[in-house]
Amino acid sequence: MAEYTKVANVEDLDSSGKTVLEVEDRIVVLVHVDGGFYCLDDVCTHDDGPLSDGELDGCDLICPRHGARFDVCSGKAKSLPATRSTISHEVKVENGEVFVKVSEDI
Amino acid sequence: MTQLGFNTEDFQAFQAARQEPEWVTAQRQDAWQQFSQQQWPTRREEEWMRTDIRLFKLDKFFIPSASNPDGLDAIVPLLSEGVTLGGAVHSHNGVCVEDTMSDELKQQGVVFGSLDSLLGEQSDLLESVLLQRAFDREDRFAALHAACWTGGQFLYVPRGVHVEQPFHVLSSLSDGGVDLGHTIVILEDGASATLLAECASTSEEAEGLHCGAIELILGDRANLRYVNLQNWGQRVWHFARQKAVVGRDAHLQWTSAAMGSRLSKVNQHVVLEGQGAQSQMNGVLFTENKQHLSYHTQQYHKQANCHSDFLYKAALQDKSHTVWRGMIKVDEGAQQTDGYQRNDNLLLSNNARADSIPGLEIEADDVRCTHGSTTGKVDEEMIYYAQCRGFTRKEAMRLIVTGFFQQIFDRITIDSVRDALGLAIARRVRDYE
Repeated sequence: MAEYTKVANVEDLDSSGKTVLEVEDRIVVLVHVDGGFYCLDDVCTHDDGPLSDGELDGCDLICPRHGARFDVCSGKAKSLPATRSTISHEVKVENGEVFVKVSEDI
Repeated sequence: MTQLGFNTEDFQAFQAARQEPEWVTAQRQDAWQQFSQQQWPTRREEEWMRTDIRLFKLDKFFIPSASNPDGLDAIVPLLSEGVTLGGAVHSHNGVCVEDTMSDELKQQGVVFGSLDSLLGEQSDLLESVLLQRAFDREDRFAALHAACWTGGQFLYVPRGVHVEQPFHVLSSLSDGGVDLGHTIVILEDGASATLLAECASTSEEAEGLHCGAIELILGDRANLRYVNLQNWGQRVWHFARQKAVVGRDAHLQWTSAAMGSRLSKVNQHVVLEGQGAQSQMNGVLFTENKQHLSYHTQQYHKQANCHSDFLYKAALQDKSHTVWRGMIKVDEGAQQTDGYQRNDNLLLSNNARADSIPGLEIEADDVRCTHGSTTGKVDEEMIYYAQCRGFTRKEAMRLIVTGFFQQIFDRITIDSVRDALGLAIARRVRDYE
């Protein structure tokens, strides 16, 4: 069973933006938006390419290649060409530190 | 024992400890310089777009510089079972541990053995060929290999000599091991031989790195059967550059099977550079868990009247991913070319993914070049049909997967290879509802 892993200090992260991290042998993107932290696999389910180079639009992360939108809170695919969710990981913040718990593979 | 990292100081120490011909030293230095100046490929490059190597960390590994026999007893070859061999070379963690060859073949002028040990003795033969004739030092992995290769194998068959007994090459890795082996095969005009190559890990959990290359050089009317089974454990990074140059009226049958590794990136090129040259490339890929296997192949017709036939089949389980990007390239003067490429993928789970990208680049105007690709799931009706005849679902699935690969197995003329591949695949098949 996966445990929470400390990945960053809140003070080191921008007030909004994305950070690419390696957690438990996988690449994830930590998103800081509207005061909340969210974490997704750095994978667009349309072409298996990285999402982290994409732009943030509110709570949507937009794939830089073909424009698929993913909800940063849930990983849900919100627009074509992606049809499947990307994996979302649990995040918690304690004493100014950000922790990620990697989800089991679907 | 001091371990040598992949940095300039340790590279110099590695080189100083090897007593090699001057031209090899110069070649290594030049390659190291390229390696030092280049960056790792990124997903912004077309060739690497579907292959993520951000988790690959070279500094976790060391240059193979001394014998490390960890786990050697656990290694069992698959391809050589029941075969009378002309010779065998086994390297473990990048260092040769077994090197044998029949005296009868030696007397016919055949050379076979560890490239490391034959380099001095065969320097004149290798100087204008090694890492030049069938090798492209295009990216940082290729430069790393050219600078730091160790172990390896060399097969040379003189003009007109036909070797009936296959040669066998085994490369193995234990946990943390590195294999930078280089295979070079030279068949002179009218020669023929069979080489069975395979690799294995001491366990599925053993982490490792293979960054290797294969050069196959066929003279006019030569005939080579080459089989390559990639069967590393599932925590091995596998980067390979493989190239064959085929002379006039020569024939190459190249069978590749890949089941192992965490991530594979393979460039496999065949250059038909003599009129009437023929190549047949067969591929069997079976992936599971989160394996990622990426094959970039090229059939390059440089002369007229050449024939190339390419058939790769992949079955994918779990969340595994295969990429095949194939190209038939035909030069302007290569009229009467007959080129074919086909890639079939069988998805055994909903989360597996196969990317298949065939391509043609043709400059001649009198050719026949065709390509095709199919991707599909197992037909439930076929499973139902088998179950009605008393098979369990898993047995039915095995039958269907074996049947899927049968077209390739039918092309393999060596019994031990066909049996080993069939068994290895059947063992891996799981059933999905």
